[in-house]
Amino acid sequence: MPYWIKKYYLITVLLIAGCSTHPVVEVLPVDAFFKNAQQFNYRISPNGKALAFLQTYKGKMNVFVRSIDDTTRLQLTKFEDSSIRDFSWVGNNRLFCEKERDTNNRCGAFLINKDGTNYTSIKSRAGTKLSILDNSVHASQVLITSNERDESFFDVYHLNIENGSKKLFVENPGNILLWFADEKGDVNLGAGSDGVNETIYYRENIEEKFKAIFSNNFKSTLKPLGFTKNKRYIYALSDLNRDKLALVEFDCLEGKESKLIYQHPDADILEVLTSGLNKEPALVAYDLDRRQRHFLNQTYKEIYEDISDKLPNQEIKIIDISERNLIIKVYTDRNPGAFYSYNIEKRSLKKLSEVNPEIEPANMCSMQAISYQTKDGLTIHGYLTLPLGKKKENLPCVILPHQGPSQRNVFGFLPEVQFLANRGYAVLQMNYRGSTGYGKKFENAGFKQWGAKMQDDIFDGVAWLIKEGIANPSQIGVFGYGFGGYAALNQVINHPDTYKCAASYSGYINLFTYIKGYPAHFKPYKLMLNEMIGDPETDVDYLKSASPVFQIEKIKTPILIAQGGKDAKVNVNETNQFVKELRKKNIPIKYILNENETQLFKNVDNKIRFYTELVDFLDQHLKPH
Amino acid sequence: MKTRILSYRKNFTLIASFVVLISSLLIIALYVSYKLTKKVVENEFSAAKVDVLEKTVLPYNVFFQNKVSEISFYQGFLDSTSATQYANSVLNKYPFVERILFYDAQISNRDVEDGLRTLNFSLGIKGLYQYGLNVNKDSTVLFSADKPGSLSLSNGDEFNKIGLKLASYLSNVDTTKLLSNDQIFNIFYNISHNKITYMNVLRREDIKVYKDLMFKKMPPSPFYEQDIFSFELNPYKLVVKNTYPQLYQNVVIKPLSFETISDKPNLVTTEIALPLAFSNFKLYLSSDRKFLDKEIRRRFLPVGLGIFAVYGILLILIFLISRNLKVNQKLFSLQYDFINNFTHEFKTPVAVIKIAGNNILNAKDLSDLERKRYGKILDEEADKLNDLMNKLLSFTQIENRSIKVKNEEINVEVFSQNIIDAFQLKHPEYDIQLNIKGLTVFQSDPVLLSSIFYNLIENAYKYANADNKFLKISIVKDKKNIVFSFEDKGIGIDASELVHIFKKFYRIQSRYNQQGSVGLGLAFCKELVTFMNGEIHVKSKPGKGSVFVVTLPLDK
Repeated sequence: MPYWIKKYYLITVLLIAGCSTHPVVEVLPVDAFFKNAQQFNYRISPNGKALAFLQTYKGKMNVFVRSIDDTTRLQLTKFEDSSIRDFSWVGNNRLFCEKERDTNNRCGAFLINKDGTNYTSIKSRAGTKLSILDNSVHASQVLITSNERDESFFDVYHLNIENGSKKLFVENPGNILLWFADEKGDVNLGAGSDGVNETIYYRENIEEKFKAIFSNNFKSTLKPLGFTKNKRYIYALSDLNRDKLALVEFDCLEGKESKLIYQHPDADILEVLTSGLNKEPALVAYDLDRRQRHFLNQTYKEIYEDISDKLPNQEIKIIDISERNLIIKVYTDRNPGAFYSYNIEKRSLKKLSEVNPEIEPANMCSMQAISYQTKDGLTIHGYLTLPLGKKKENLPCVILPHQGPSQRNVFGFLPEVQFLANRGYAVLQMNYRGSTGYGKKFENAGFKQWGAKMQDDIFDGVAWLIKEGIANPSQIGVFGYGFGGYAALNQVINHPDTYKCAASYSGYINLFTYIKGYPAHFKPYKLMLNEMIGDPETDVDYLKSASPVFQIEKIKTPILIAQGGKDAKVNVNETNQFVKELRKKNIPIKYILNENETQLFKNVDNKIRFYTELVDFLDQHLKPH
Repeated sequence: MKTRILSYRKNFTLIASFVVLISSLLIIALYVSYKLTKKVVENEFSAAKVDVLEKTVLPYNVFFQNKVSEISFYQGFLDSTSATQYANSVLNKYPFVERILFYDAQISNRDVEDGLRTLNFSLGIKGLYQYGLNVNKDSTVLFSADKPGSLSLSNGDEFNKIGLKLASYLSNVDTTKLLSNDQIFNIFYNISHNKITYMNVLRREDIKVYKDLMFKKMPPSPFYEQDIFSFELNPYKLVVKNTYPQLYQNVVIKPLSFETISDKPNLVTTEIALPLAFSNFKLYLSSDRKFLDKEIRRRFLPVGLGIFAVYGILLILIFLISRNLKVNQKLFSLQYDFINNFTHEFKTPVAVIKIAGNNILNAKDLSDLERKRYGKILDEEADKLNDLMNKLLSFTQIENRSIKVKNEEINVEVFSQNIIDAFQLKHPEYDIQLNIKGLTVFQSDPVLLSSIFYNLIENAYKYANADNKFLKISIVKDKKNIVFSFEDKGIGIDASELVHIFKKFYRIQSRYNQQGSVGLGLAFCKELVTFMNGEIHVKSKPGKGSVFVVTLPLDK
């Protein structure tokens, strides 16, 4: 290289290097985050050779099939009137599909061969619903449930997969909501709930009647998973007599827990994966900062290690299992991820499709696990996502309390968070008390604290952001969906000077209305709601203080409200009045009312319009002009 | 072609008619503006009542729009305790609410003893409570379901009305549609004479459930809570907010049927109906005619003053114009005098020359003495004419600033003595003394300066008694100026005339100047001195003499 070229080369390199400390972050359009995310429901056939999945065709979901080795796909159905809601392999050659309710209030279910031939409709009465209970084929039959006999509960039927005829197998005594089949196709276990108390029903054999073997109330959980090899015992997730949900063996004859299989000291067990081969639990998963797994089966441990070697630094989630094959989804906080198939014997991995090819991971932002102390000494865990290419100081921030409140934030690719971070905001999510996954004590600590300590937990997070110097104290906004929206409104009611704006997406504005949304005239429900949220007759003062609609006087902050006209948790007339009163006070209000939407907007255009308006609103109030 | 008559015109009639015109305009303007002000006040009297009404019923509107509909926020969960709290918050804040009835109602498909039943739908009363400032704490409970059948007909009236509305709505409701605001107002409100009854608005789901209760045969249902409130209002307790105290003397609430009392013919009144629940009442606003007249006058005052100000300015202008015209007229007559005088001045030497010429022409022969005499006369008279013409010429030149000031070195003593010698030659009896102090030479225009000297010396001679022709000339240096003072012992000048003597063509009427002097002398001096950037002053005492002081700057 001649000297002068070297010289200029060096200068150019220095210039580029100089620029790269302030990279220009590409701002992706709104629809890149919310339009094209394709969630293929890949289902693998029992022999692992074929994949079935749903994809849109003329605006409706239709079922497609492809070979595991070949990307060419075959469209089996061409419905234009209603989508396919769910489907399942019944044997290696045939699929059972359920359609969404059509205009005649009929949920058509049918059987179809994987090459598109031999379409067999399953007869059912209008207003009733057919669902698959267990897709393992025993003598050309699978188990389905239907409420044909009495619309208020489901019986179990045998479905002939060849000709689509069905035969009543187990009659519902009237109180069972969930059925569990064993390996042989017998159904001797059921779970019922009145919405508050959960009861487990069991019988030793087909001849006997179902007996309630155990009941527990809403403050603790016993969730049956399925039978063990010994039909007297079942696997279940339980937090009876302990704080965190653990995998246990439950004795159905004694009606009590017989063995603890696995528990984690800090987290609830959230998922139990059953092996495709021996139908025994292969692993349990729980969430700490990221999803963690404990392996009960050596093969699965090796599978996970192998995949981790091949796709390092990725989150791995098994979404379907056959005897020899797995369908997995891998993703990170910055990458919406891709689907792969994995051959257990050959230990080979094959990519199937991307979730959202429009997202370039390099432009996305990483999620950091954080934690802080509340004023009353609780540790709150959360995630902080910082915008790319900016120093971790003095940033405009959006506080994003999660919905629920009985839910939690987890690590992963979150379009909403990435969308905001991509536009220059630091996003703070936190698992305030009442969130799930940290044990029942933490969850129950949220009882009757919706407008009180739960809000303090959220605000302690803001105080932490300011103390750490991450947030610019004059550029903090709050946004949430459902309970998160309710929290956003409460935050600005309690701290009008801290927040510059708040956005509520289907947020509750009145707890009386929220309580009324439940059939509160049933005693058990009433008791549960009284304890969880508040008694509308004796806790009037608290419920008023915790309901934004009664606190209009205290609101001074600009607010965005997005609401679906058919949201059952909110009374739209009330929201209209709320907005009217705020406007009268000359508070800047942006109100988006979609008459035909429910709580979560389904229509893509409505969704995109909402997020466009949201970011306009945030920019207007949080960024200097 | 018409010849324009260039003659002096009289202005008095013009000015007089102008004054008459603007004076009549003044009267018209005052009249019209008074009428307009009166109209405005009268219009406002009937229009501003809307504002008074708005302010007066504001608390009622807030109560109706916010506080009443707040009941819905409780979703039917109110019971006697929480309803008491709510009722007290209403009673404390809205004094026009006299009594509140709270029907704790229940909807079910069961039979009810007290309440309403249509098909399978029943709206029963669990309890009826009353609240009010005059309601005794012990008599709060009017009815309880524990004692069925004890509900009085009058107490159940409002309950029945709103219950029927609900039942008729449920009997033909389309549950797929959202409740419109219009429907909410028609179904959940019952507004009558001084009463507002309200039931918490149903949610979509409630409507479905209640409709099923009405039409479907079902096992006994649970009880669904509804809250019904009836507010009894007293319009007289609305606080009247008279936002226009200058317009309305009295604002009171009266029944709609109230009529104006005829025994007060001077009372001006207007009225406006109260809204909704108070529609049987009106706001009655009245003022005494005199009170309104006072308001009209108050508003008219600045307008009237304004008109007078304009009128005053016009008068001042016309006065100034007429004054200028007068001055111009005076000047015109002075110039006329001047021409007269001047002609006279020319006439004397011309007449002498004519006589001398005639005498020379008619004489057969002239003796040497005669020839010399006539020669001298002609020469002298020609000099006089020349002198007169020079004076006139240089005067106009100076007035028009068409000559230039020369700047030569002058020896003060030589210059003054020469002029004094010339005078003493002509008038040997003229006693002129010269005193010079502090300087010998200075820079000036000798021609202009000598003109000043000639004029002042001649005036001192002219205006003095024959036995007292005396002049004392002092020339002194005073700082940057040279001061010439001419002090005589002449007849002096009257104080009233002192201000005028430097004016053109002004001549003091006295026996000393009857032979004709044009009165240009002092004006000419003044012009010269001003032209040379100096000043001239005079002090005089009649009978004793005058002192003329000329001050000229030394530095040019």
